[in-house]
Amino acid sequence: MIYRESGQFKKTYEADQAILPLRTDQIFMVGVLLVAFLVIPMVASNYVMNALLLPFLIYALAAIGLNLLVGYCGQISLGTGGFMAVGAFAAWNLATRTELPMPVIFLLAGLITAGTGVLFGLPALRIKGFYLAVTTLAAQFFLIWLLQRPWFNNYSPTGVISAPTVDMFGWTVDSVTDRYYLALIILVIMALIAKNIVRSSTGRKWMAIRDMDVAAEIIGIRPMATKLKAFAVSSFFIGIAGVLWGFLYLGQLEAEAFNIYVSFDVLFMIIIGGLGSILGSIIGAAFVVLVPIFLNVVPSAIGLPLGTAMISYVEIFIFGVLIIFFLIVEPHGIARLWSIVKQKLRLWPFPY
Amino acid sequence: MMFFFEVLIGGLMSGIMYALVALGFVLIFKASGVFNFAQAAMVLFAAMFMAGMYGDWGVPYWLAIPITILLMIGLAWVIERFVLRHLVNQEPIIMFMATIGIFFAIIGFAEIIWGSRSRTLDVGLPDDMLFIGDMLFQQYDIVTALMVAVLVVLLMIFAQKTRMGRVLRAVADDHQAAQSVGIKLSTVWVVVWSVAGVVAVVAGIVWGGSLGVQPVMVDVAFKALPVLLLGGLTSIHGAIIAGLIIGAGEALAEVYLGPIIGGGIDNWFAYIIAMAFMVWRPEGLFGEKIIERI
Amino acid sequence: MAANAADVTSRARSSEVLLKVEDVELRFGGVRALRGVSFEVRRGEIFSIIGPNGAGKSSMLNCINGFYHPTSGTITYKGQPRKAMRPYVTASQGVARTFQNIALFKGMSTLDNIMTGRHLKTKATLLENAFWFGRAKREEMEHRKFCEEIIDFLNLQHVRKTAVGTLPYGLQKRVELGRALAAEPELLLLDEPMAGMNLEEKQDMARFILDVNDEFGMTICLIEHDMGVVMDLSDSIVVLDHGEMIGQGTPEEVSNDPKVIEAYLGVQEEGEA
Repeated sequence: MIYRESGQFKKTYEADQAILPLRTDQIFMVGVLLVAFLVIPMVASNYVMNALLLPFLIYALAAIGLNLLVGYCGQISLGTGGFMAVGAFAAWNLATRTELPMPVIFLLAGLITAGTGVLFGLPALRIKGFYLAVTTLAAQFFLIWLLQRPWFNNYSPTGVISAPTVDMFGWTVDSVTDRYYLALIILVIMALIAKNIVRSSTGRKWMAIRDMDVAAEIIGIRPMATKLKAFAVSSFFIGIAGVLWGFLYLGQLEAEAFNIYVSFDVLFMIIIGGLGSILGSIIGAAFVVLVPIFLNVVPSAIGLPLGTAMISYVEIFIFGVLIIFFLIVEPHGIARLWSIVKQKLRLWPFPY
Repeated sequence: MMFFFEVLIGGLMSGIMYALVALGFVLIFKASGVFNFAQAAMVLFAAMFMAGMYGDWGVPYWLAIPITILLMIGLAWVIERFVLRHLVNQEPIIMFMATIGIFFAIIGFAEIIWGSRSRTLDVGLPDDMLFIGDMLFQQYDIVTALMVAVLVVLLMIFAQKTRMGRVLRAVADDHQAAQSVGIKLSTVWVVVWSVAGVVAVVAGIVWGGSLGVQPVMVDVAFKALPVLLLGGLTSIHGAIIAGLIIGAGEALAEVYLGPIIGGGIDNWFAYIIAMAFMVWRPEGLFGEKIIERI
Repeated sequence: MAANAADVTSRARSSEVLLKVEDVELRFGGVRALRGVSFEVRRGEIFSIIGPNGAGKSSMLNCINGFYHPTSGTITYKGQPRKAMRPYVTASQGVARTFQNIALFKGMSTLDNIMTGRHLKTKATLLENAFWFGRAKREEMEHRKFCEEIIDFLNLQHVRKTAVGTLPYGLQKRVELGRALAAEPELLLLDEPMAGMNLEEKQDMARFILDVNDEFGMTICLIEHDMGVVMDLSDSIVVLDHGEMIGQGTPEEVSNDPKVIEAYLGVQEEGEA
């Protein structure tokens, strides 16, 4: 393994501020994208795409959104599920009640969610920490209740409605491969946007608020505007994730599918993957999607098959323990462990 | 009018349940500044062990309850040893997220042992009807209210009069200062989490007795949080009063407001009461004012 | 910068009053942290507020940058009187500061901390940042260049990309100064810039303060209880004790004032003896 920065001199600040300053990282990233776009669709079965890859991609998007708020701006939120529901239902209602093209619907659904996020972020002016956690819980319960009102599902007798087929730029997103591609493209674009935001002045303001809000205000950062911006951007991401969850993954919508435990799942992803890391959000999503599979496969393989119920109990327990473990050992999660490995590789075979 | 009072009393009774959970939160927050999201999971844990030991192993309640109390003390020790100790001086938000981890670890553990089916928990509290004047009461409610009153008085005596209580208050004021005068933080934390555990046992008996024991019980956590904010994070009597206000408020709202705007509003109504109040007084009814320093 | 240095002498003598504090009183409940404090800071000078612990020095600074609001009295900055103002507004008018207990953004690198200090100069919108086009990229490069100059000036090159939480105390103080400088303030408030430093670090810091005043032409208002350093640095001095002004003037005048000697210097010498 050759992972070196020696010989790569940056001659401009621009090169130094690039997202991936090291050539090895650039090559690696290109490789990952090639695999994601070309290899996986060829080798993965429909089941794997539907049950693993789609939820992973969509969860990763939601996790990036939440991480912008929690990991970068330091404002905790337990309302992710509720905001995803807002995105999904906004898109569904726009699609049913208007003739707008799909990309516009996606965008509007994201903006509506952003507005909702700002509304519930308003208390962040006066309160912080656990108080904010409780306010966002209120958002979660209130939004789910609100979206169960008959108007939002167009008076469907069962309360369950089916999502329309996504049609954009002349591409009918129907087969599972199509849906995989759409989710992947949106994730890649939005991850890039998130990365741009966090390395810009906006991102630095968020981190300043996170690290010491009083000092941030004294150097001229407006706390309210900055926090609300974080709520808006975060909710936008989460709203789009909600649209994808309803339209591409579930195929049908009901508000209860976005309950409080969805919020917790996404929170787990960013804690395990790494608070304050875009890459970490993606790794965390993969981890949370894989653990149940792992629990299904491994115990049977070693001759100790677990019942379905038992698997879910063990899963709850393991996630609880992992959260504690990562918060104690490495609050920056798997992403930090990864960068430590890279740091070591950079010097390998010398210890220092 | 009669109907109004019955709804009101029903609401006050569920308010007592919320208050019981909120009480556990307050104790831990007062003594350690940790916002313990896992309190409701501790209630579930206690209730599942009491009901499970009785139902599956035939352990009588007079034995199952003390065993559960010991178990809660053991749990407090485990939490201190494996979680809190490693997070001293961490940011509150990290501590808070860690208690979310504890929440899930405890629930998962209890479910691995007892499964998730619903059980009954009847420790023999009287549950006959009782008429006072024209009004119909459940004896169970009255006994419960009395138990809670006694518990609160005991806790207040503990906090105000005993040496340990004074130590707890000292630690709450300033971790480092308390350590520097020779108070051992780890002991204090085990004690206070144990006390919160005992409160959880009482809450488990009361709550499980009226609604049965099943994992959805932890949803009461989501009711106890607004109670906590309304009462103020550090006030024992605040938790009780806020519990009663929210219990009564949401019961009345469900009956009188529900038909107008749609049912099921009790899921969030408590939050609206608490948040509306906090806009006016962020520290809650009886909480200490938060002063910002630099 | 050379041109700036040439102006300095004239500016130091300029009589333009940048900040005027008149009869300021600050009460917390029954405690009077400041009573009837008045002074003037002229553009281009190094102005010091000194006094023993608890004299109200930090309260005074907090009033100036809007973190506290005086109970009565007026503060006039650049000819505009003001009373209640949020700190970020003060900052946008060209007041930057450092803190007695370092208030850096611990999770961020040295470079990012200093770049954050410069945010008042950025105009790129969220959308430009999101797509890294237009002003977003251009400004980022301009500010990076400016911040690199500050890093060079403060000798912080080797810790440019280190998270500040892990830096030693003296370096953190320097990063904090850098963050304040990045805003190119007209008035720089320094809250005990040398507290807790050893002699060598103090000398370094004194050098930086003089250089900032010289090269960038910034007006500096600092508070300090270490008399020795202040006497060498300052153009003029105000002495506070128990919230009251007990002396004012040039370093020589202050150090010969019997009231100051009694309230402050006497105690200091006993303490150090």
